[in-house]
Amino acid sequence: MIEARGISVSIGTRRIISDVDFDVRPGEVAAIVGPNGSGKTTFLKALSGDLPYTGRIVINNRDMAGLKPWETASMRAVLPQATALSFPFTVHEVVKLGLMSGRSGALPGEERNLPQRALARVDLDGFAGRYYQELSGGEQQRVQLARVLCQVWTPVLNGKPRYLFLDEPVSSLDIKHQLIIMEIARDFARGGGGVVAILHDLNLTAMHADRICVMHRGRLAAAGTPQDVMTDELISRVFECDLKVGALPAGNVPFVLPQSVSL
Amino acid sequence: MVDGVADRLGTVEKRASMGDRSGRAKLAIALLTALLVLTMLFSLASGASDASAFAVVRDWLFPSLSDGSALSARDRIIVYDIRLPRVVLGVLIGAALAVSGAVMQGLFRNPLADPGLVGVSAGAGLGAIVVIVLGGTFLGPVLALFGIYTLPLAAFFGGLATTLILYRVATRRGQTSIATMLLAGIALGAMAGAFSGIMVYLADDRQLRDLTFWGLGSLAGATWTKIASAGPIIVLALIVSPFLARGLNALALGEAAAHHLGISVQRFKNVAIVSVAAATGASVAVSGGIGFVGIVVPHLLRLLIGPDNRYLLPASALLGASMLLLADAVSRTIVAPAELPIGIITAAVGGPFFLWILLRKRGILDL
Repeated sequence: MIEARGISVSIGTRRIISDVDFDVRPGEVAAIVGPNGSGKTTFLKALSGDLPYTGRIVINNRDMAGLKPWETASMRAVLPQATALSFPFTVHEVVKLGLMSGRSGALPGEERNLPQRALARVDLDGFAGRYYQELSGGEQQRVQLARVLCQVWTPVLNGKPRYLFLDEPVSSLDIKHQLIIMEIARDFARGGGGVVAILHDLNLTAMHADRICVMHRGRLAAAGTPQDVMTDELISRVFECDLKVGALPAGNVPFVLPQSVSL
Repeated sequence: MVDGVADRLGTVEKRASMGDRSGRAKLAIALLTALLVLTMLFSLASGASDASAFAVVRDWLFPSLSDGSALSARDRIIVYDIRLPRVVLGVLIGAALAVSGAVMQGLFRNPLADPGLVGVSAGAGLGAIVVIVLGGTFLGPVLALFGIYTLPLAAFFGGLATTLILYRVATRRGQTSIATMLLAGIALGAMAGAFSGIMVYLADDRQLRDLTFWGLGSLAGATWTKIASAGPIIVLALIVSPFLARGLNALALGEAAAHHLGISVQRFKNVAIVSVAAATGASVAVSGGIGFVGIVVPHLLRLLIGPDNRYLLPASALLGASMLLLADAVSRTIVAPAELPIGIITAAVGGPFFLWILLRKRGILDL
């Protein structure tokens, strides 16, 4: 489990996020939503150890401040929003970089085929020999996800859960691949790992997230299940437009129709 | 046997087409090793004198076969004290230049980063010039303390200072701006040039001759003493380089992603910068500025075996050494019995190549 308590991040003199509490539980997909500039990515960066923060982040009962990069690398993998490469790497070579930390958790014999399996997983079978730089933005994003999956291939290692941090994993994907990626996240959670994903599509979030953390102006506006969090009042206030939340009869999954808005 | 080799090659190429170029890279490293051995033998055997390196090597390996008369003392001196140090120095410098180019390109995430191009060599040169010119004055005690290592050490610190400033200026939040890097390189090169100019102004006639010859870049005057002064530093940098490969590969994804993959990014960058400065500084100290090896060799190899630094770094060392030896052979024979500074040869070949890179910059080589 990851417990973040009172996390604040300042860049220069500007306070970007203040006093955010957040938990990531094994077996759960946690989504972070919020308008642009609300501090979602900054919070994920603090969680990944990229930015100095105040507060306390504990991952599997160990304070992250005391962990070496190679230790955290075996506990969590991070998918950035977009990754540009300056050298002509093939897709296979990029995905294989995920095995660098050496703790994929796959059996030694299996590790060799892991890039291939990870690529099949993100629906990029047959792309291994292509140059990364020649791919479309959405394809590049899926290659990076395959790399990240290789790093923490088994959601649990030595009895301890591992985590996937995904920064807008579906932002440049078509609907089919959005669903495939969210299914991968679900599977990872089902296998005992934890997932944190920054998402913009509220409907996709409602369908796939166990818990939603809503950020607003650098603070946590609400956290809880989709049913708890996605209310007309909260969604309208945070996104500053008059949205109506509906609910599907089956499973009580909330949905948001932008058609209801008059700006 | 032939079928077996053909099969193996088929497998290697099939894997490469599936994106796994490691087999091809290993093959390339084996071939480059063979190439280096051949160029070394060729360099040892060729020269203005007709001294037979073959006879020397034969006598060395099989003393019993020696007929005594065929191998004069003169031949032995030419091969052991003139050609051999030159070959050894050529191998060290060629490897150092190519590897520091490759490391710097990985560090800056940019195929255009090269110690010669971005002012690091100029900074190293300034360090060396200061020692050459002021060595007889107030720097005397330093010279006495470090002996033959003073020159390479001074060049190392010159190169290190330039690299650190360059990195500071050109890199913001883990992203290096190519324009800023090249412009900062020009500025640093100009500053180093200006200070070097002041030193040249202060130099006496003998020092001036040293400086001119040295500034053009040359392996001429290679002695065992020079090898003893710069060799250990270069060898150390070359030994460190394979350990940089993993970090450089991770860094290709950006500093944040490298950190996520478990690399201690700041410490890694420090080690990489120091080793580039050491290799460049030591090379510049003994052979002056030899341009373009650091940019041409890694670039050619990336086209052939891909950018994986685990293979790129050793392959660069091997090809850099071979290329410099060949360039040196040309420089010794093209206007024999006189010789052309090797920097002229590498620039004459490297300049057009560099333009070719720029022309091809669209597509997968996109800069």
